[in-house]
Amino acid sequence: MKLRTLSLALCTTAIASTAMAEDLRMSWWGGDSRHAATQAALEVCGAKHGHTISPEFTGWSGHFEKLTTQIAGGTEADLMQVNWPWLSFYSADGTGLADLNQFAQIIDLSNWDDAQIVAGSMNGALNGLPISTTGRLFVFNTTTWAKAGLDLPKTWDDLIAAGPVFREKLGEGYYPFEAAGLDAALIVTLYGTQATGKPLIDPATNELTWTKEELVNAISLYKTLVDNHVIEGWQDRAADGNVPLHENPEWSQGMIAGTYQWDSTYFKISDPLEDGQELAYVDLLTQDGQKTPGIYRKASMVFSISANSEKQEAAAQILNCLLNEPEGVSALGTTRGVPASRTAREQLSEADAIQPIQVEAQKKVIDAEGPAIHPMMEFPSVRAALQDNLELFAYGEVDATEAADEMILAINEALEDIK
Amino acid sequence: MGGDSKFLGLWYVAPYAIGLILFTAFPFVASFYLSFTDYNLLSSPEWVGTANYEKLFTRDRTFDKSLKVTLAYVFMTVPIKLAFALFIAVVLNYRLRGIGLFRTAYYVPSILGGSIAIAVLWRYMFAQSGLINMIITALGGEPVNWFGDPQNALLTITLLRCWQFGSAMVIFLAALQSVDKSLYEAGSIDGAKPWQLFRYITLPLITPVIFFNLIMQTVQAFQEFNGPYIITEGGPLKNTYLLPLYIYDEAFKNFDMGYASAIAWVLFCIIMCLTLLAFWTSKKWVYYAGDKRN
Repeated sequence: MKLRTLSLALCTTAIASTAMAEDLRMSWWGGDSRHAATQAALEVCGAKHGHTISPEFTGWSGHFEKLTTQIAGGTEADLMQVNWPWLSFYSADGTGLADLNQFAQIIDLSNWDDAQIVAGSMNGALNGLPISTTGRLFVFNTTTWAKAGLDLPKTWDDLIAAGPVFREKLGEGYYPFEAAGLDAALIVTLYGTQATGKPLIDPATNELTWTKEELVNAISLYKTLVDNHVIEGWQDRAADGNVPLHENPEWSQGMIAGTYQWDSTYFKISDPLEDGQELAYVDLLTQDGQKTPGIYRKASMVFSISANSEKQEAAAQILNCLLNEPEGVSALGTTRGVPASRTAREQLSEADAIQPIQVEAQKKVIDAEGPAIHPMMEFPSVRAALQDNLELFAYGEVDATEAADEMILAINEALEDIK
Repeated sequence: MGGDSKFLGLWYVAPYAIGLILFTAFPFVASFYLSFTDYNLLSSPEWVGTANYEKLFTRDRTFDKSLKVTLAYVFMTVPIKLAFALFIAVVLNYRLRGIGLFRTAYYVPSILGGSIAIAVLWRYMFAQSGLINMIITALGGEPVNWFGDPQNALLTITLLRCWQFGSAMVIFLAALQSVDKSLYEAGSIDGAKPWQLFRYITLPLITPVIFFNLIMQTVQAFQEFNGPYIITEGGPLKNTYLLPLYIYDEAFKNFDMGYASAIAWVLFCIIMCLTLLAFWTSKKWVYYAGDKRN
């Protein structure tokens, strides 16, 4: 009788676990370290909850296009990493992605504060759980700066003064900083935000807030940086083709000794460095008479569940495992920045799994002040309006005033289209 | 076969026909409709009449630039590629030891040429510190800014396309081998030199193949995407921003499918006009054996 009862119990358990086991898909973007960690996390979380998860990962470039096409066709993965500004595009009314509030019995939402929950909500529906908070910070290669005999800069003037020293002491090929493409556009935006105290686009009115003169002042910084050998000119950076910073040998060898990046990308930019090269974050550089430090801070990426998925509960289990449960948290580590989930942050801190430099960077992001960033700042058409016209200025095709005129025109057009 | 089913042939062509209808004919018609709409992929298309075309032709400076770059690219790529393919085909038409190996080797770039990996390799070769500049400096020259200099970037992309000359070359080679040898013998007896044999016998007899390659290469050049997307992303200053890149950006970055469709239809019309022009001029320079006009 005992044997029969045991057999029955085992059979029931087996049937139950088979019935619950799901084949899921999860998509994300990132660098190699994030890809490896996420696959490991999916293995342990899948094993824990009895699901199989197929990973679908890419680099940053092209991920927005791919994900949007999938969502339009209803073929997106069950669980997705979504950039925060994209929420308003995918789910303006809150129905484009699953409402995670419905899975509150599976996902421990108490690990996020109200502001973070609001950041991930659209029209009252919790469409994405913030994975981390991120901000653009200055990060410098301390090895190269020491070689140049300089302390890390605190002000824009310090940075500008470092250019000639790098050229003289280290050679023509050494630069204390880099800025091309989007990085250059965001540097210009930061400089203008500090000077004016206003964001480029007003979150309340969806309108451009800077005057032409203010924009000219910000754009002119780019030329100052190039003229003083602080950054390689746009044309020279383009000489290697469309190569991101972390794939650029000049970065990994320390010849480019500074950049302005999301703090959540620490591993992406630190992993390629050759042995002996060290990085350090500094406070946002300051300028005389600035009105704000101008931090560009946002809820970083979020995890979302597809509104079309028929396996939302299983996806919620995996989501909770990745963000809140010890196995998933441990495997993911800080490959998406310092976790926003309180439990995860505490676990990684106790395990010394958050590198001191990441803690320091996150503190700088959280502590710094700056006007709220409008999600439209991250729309491709707005970014293109900034970048394209800055490129024209960088190549000497237009002067700063003409570039400002064109930028205002193009940004207004883009905002009009988005509305 | 006859007795079993008179529809057997239809069954054979059905997979292709279904594919053609689903993946070519339907998108073709749909894109024409969408070109008159405002459609962001996530919500229903909204009819806007000719607004997309009006914007395209009256106030879109990016389109103007992209169109100029595309035409420059096509008019550079196609003649260079055809001339090079023909030259190599003539060389490979000689009876040499191991000629089969050479023919295969020259065809390989065509198999690999359109791939992402080759575009990445091209990017490294022409980078500031890449192989090409290493050779140039070893020969005593100054390194060239291939991708960052607006004057050079399009040329670099063009070279990638021209490097993929294999398919055109194979077709030329087949045409060269089909030329009647007795014509060369007759020409030689009459005292014609090798260049004259080529100019007055070979070239006229392979004009149908030149015409075919011209059309195919022109159409393909107008559709080039991989090279500029991977290597330069359309820069610098949009000097490699070919129309297919612009269509892609509008469709999948700005999610303005209606506008992207309008650009695609303008591109289609340009290709169609140039093809018709080529057919019209072909009456004057293409020789078909047995054609009484000749």
